[in-house]
Amino acid sequence: MQDTSRSSTDHQPVVHTAWSRFWQNDAPGYLFLLPWLIGFLGLTIGPMATSLYLSFTDFDLLTSPDWVGADNYIRMFSNDPKFWTSMRVTMFFVVFSVPLKLAFALAVAMLLNRGIRGLPLYRALFYLPSLLGASVAIAILWRQIFAGDGLVNKLLAMVGIIGPSWISNPNYSLWTLIVLSIWQFGSPMIIFLAGLRQIPTDMYEAASLDGASKWRQFVKITLPLLTPVVFFNAIIQTIEAFKSFTPAFIISGGTGNPINSTLFYTLYLYQEAFSFFRMGYASALAWVLLALVGLFTAFSFFTSKYWVHYDE
Amino acid sequence: MSIRLDRRQFLMGSSALLAAGAAGISPSFAQAESLRLIFWGGQARADRTYGVTDLYTAAKGTQMEAEFLAWNDYWPKLATQTAGGNAPDIIQMDYRYIVEYAKRNAIAPLDEFVGGALNLADFDADQLEGGKVDGKLYGISLGANSVAMLVNTAAFEEVGVAVPTNAWTFDDLMTIGEAFKTANIRGGMKAIMDGSYSEPMLDNWLRQRGKALYTADGKLGYDEADAVEWYTMWAKLRAAGVCVSAEDQALDTGPLETTMLVLGKAALLPSNSNQLVAFQAIMQDNLDMVGYPRIEAGKGGGHYRKPSMFFSIAGSSAKQEAAAEFLNFFISDPEAAKILGVERGIPCSAATRDIVAPTLDEQSQIALNFVANLGDLLGPLPPSPPAAAGEIDASLIRTLGQEVGFGAKTPEQAGADLVNGANDILSRA
Repeated sequence: MQDTSRSSTDHQPVVHTAWSRFWQNDAPGYLFLLPWLIGFLGLTIGPMATSLYLSFTDFDLLTSPDWVGADNYIRMFSNDPKFWTSMRVTMFFVVFSVPLKLAFALAVAMLLNRGIRGLPLYRALFYLPSLLGASVAIAILWRQIFAGDGLVNKLLAMVGIIGPSWISNPNYSLWTLIVLSIWQFGSPMIIFLAGLRQIPTDMYEAASLDGASKWRQFVKITLPLLTPVVFFNAIIQTIEAFKSFTPAFIISGGTGNPINSTLFYTLYLYQEAFSFFRMGYASALAWVLLALVGLFTAFSFFTSKYWVHYDE
Repeated sequence: MSIRLDRRQFLMGSSALLAAGAAGISPSFAQAESLRLIFWGGQARADRTYGVTDLYTAAKGTQMEAEFLAWNDYWPKLATQTAGGNAPDIIQMDYRYIVEYAKRNAIAPLDEFVGGALNLADFDADQLEGGKVDGKLYGISLGANSVAMLVNTAAFEEVGVAVPTNAWTFDDLMTIGEAFKTANIRGGMKAIMDGSYSEPMLDNWLRQRGKALYTADGKLGYDEADAVEWYTMWAKLRAAGVCVSAEDQALDTGPLETTMLVLGKAALLPSNSNQLVAFQAIMQDNLDMVGYPRIEAGKGGGHYRKPSMFFSIAGSSAKQEAAAEFLNFFISDPEAAKILGVERGIPCSAATRDIVAPTLDEQSQIALNFVANLGDLLGPLPPSPPAAAGEIDASLIRTLGQEVGFGAKTPEQAGADLVNGANDILSRA
C-alpha cells in the first residue's frame, strides 16, 4: 500500500498528496454528511427553488405552468381582500398570543423554580400540552370544550353566566385559538426554567439583605439576567405563531370561518393551493410569509442590542 | 393506509384463490393486469366498493388496488397525483370538477369504448348527457340523485305538526317554524338549519323563479335583486326563530356529525337523496325526505336528477381498455348491483334498477321512491358549473350568509357583494 503510493508520488506529487489527504482526512466526514446533504438539497433547497419559480407562474397542478411575471405578487397587494384579511388575523394572533404565552410560561417557570416536592412530575405535566398541542386530537377536544354547550359554558352556567358559543362566534373565535396557543406554554417554560437556574442565588440573598422586595428583585435581577432567554423564546414563538395552522384548520373545518375570523395566513395559503388549485399564487403567498418572518426576526435582532444583556 | 392496502390485497388475493379453488382450477399467480381505483366516501361506501372489486378480481383475475378518502382530502390528493403523472386508472369524479379535469386532458374521453368494452345500451339518456364535456363522454354516472329535505320525523311528532309533503311552500316552513318555537322541544330545537349558506338551496330557489346559478356559457344566472331577496327571506326566517341562529349554524364545518340535524338543533336539513342512508346510520330518530319548499303553491321545477358522481378514466392511464371493462362490470353486473344498492344514487340502467329494487332496505327504498316520483318538482338538468363555482361557493356564498347572520352586513349589502364578488371570480378564472 505504502509502496504504490510512494511510486505514484513520483509521477504527480502535489495532486496525489492532496487527493490522498482528502481521502484519508475529509472524505469520511463528507460521507457521513451525505445523507443530510442529499436531504437538504432534495427536500429543502430543491422544493424551495421550485416554489420560487412557481410563484412567478399560474401553475394549477394539472397543466404545465406558464410564466406570468410578478402578477401573483401584484394581485396579492393590490386586488385581494382575503390576503389582507388573513394578514390581519395572523398579526392579531401573533401580537396577542406570543407575549401572553411567554408571560404565562415565565410565571409557571418561576413557580416551579422554587424547590417543591414532585417537581419533575409538575414539569412533565405542564409540558404535556405542548407535546399534544398542535395535534388534531387536541384541536377537536378544544372544539368540544368551547362549543355552545361545551365544558366552559357549563362551568360558567354554575356561576350564572350564559356564555356564547366561543368557537363559532366571530367575536370570540380567534381569542379561543389564542387561549389554546397560550395553553401550549411548555417549551418556552422549560427554557425559562433552565435560564432561571443559571441566575446565582447569592444575588437574591444580597438583594434581600439590602431589603429589596420580591417584585424589585424580579425586575432588577431576574428579568435583566433572563433577557437572552426571553429573546430566544420570543423569536422562536413568533415564528411558530406565524406558521400556526392545525388548530385553525380543525376548529373551522379548513374554512377560516365564522366570517373569516380564523382565516390564518397559512390557512388561506392552503385554500388557494388545494381548494382552488392556484399553486402559483400559493407559492407567492408562501414567499411573502417567509419574507415577513425574516423581517420580523431581523427587526428583533436589531432592537435586541438595546434590551438584551449578555454581560459576564 | 399502506397497511390497509396490503391487507386488502391479501384479502383480494385469498378470495381469488378461494374462488379459483371452488371452480376447480388451479390458481394462477401470474395476474394479467392490475388496476388502481380511487374514490371519496365513508366506510359504508368503501365496504360496498371493495365488495365489487373483490368480485371482479375473482371473476377476471384482475388485481384491484382501491383507495378511499374523505371528500376534503380527496381533491388535493387526486390533483397532486395527477400533477405527478401518477393518477390512478379509475377516478371517482364529481360534477363540479369534471369540466376542469376534462379540459386539461387529465381524464380520457370514453367514446371509443362505447359499444365495445362499455355497454351503455339501456343507460338513461340524461345521465349519459351529464357525463359529457364539449360533446364527448368523460364520465359514467354511478347513480342519479336529487336534492332532498331530510326530515327528523320523531321531532315532528313531538311538536305535533304534520311532516310536510312535496307540495309544501316557504310559507308552510314559516308555520312549521312557529309550531316548533311554541312547542320548545329538546332545548329549543328549530325547524330548519340556516339555509342561506347552502348553494343547492339557493340553486333550487333560483330555478323555481326561472333563473339559474350559472348559464350555459358560464355566466352568473341571477342578479342583485334576486340575491337581496334571498338574504332578506332568510333574515326573516332567522328573526322569527324558524331557522337556527348564526352562532349555532357556524358549528357546522362540513362533516355529517357537525350538521344541525345530527346535533339535534334542527329537524329539517337540505341534503341529497342518497345521503339519507349515511345520516340514518348515525342518528336515533327516524328520518324521511321530501322536496325543497316551493316558492309558492303549485310552482316547481327546482329539482333535477343529477349524476351523484362519475367514474372516469385517467388520461395518463396505460390500461384504459381494461379500466373501461371494469367500469362496465361495475354498472351492469347483477351481483355487483346488489352489493352497491343505491348508496351512490339510483342506478342509471333500467335492468340494474330492476335487480336492485327488491333487495333494498327501508332508507334506500325511500330514496328510490323519492327520486322516481319527483313529479312537477323535476326540471331540466342545468349545464355543468364553471370551474370557479367551487370558489364562489366556498369564499362567497358560505361567508356572506354568515355575515348577514351575525349582523355584519345587511341583506342589501350581501346581495350586492355576492353578485359583484361572483362576477369578479368568474372573470378571473
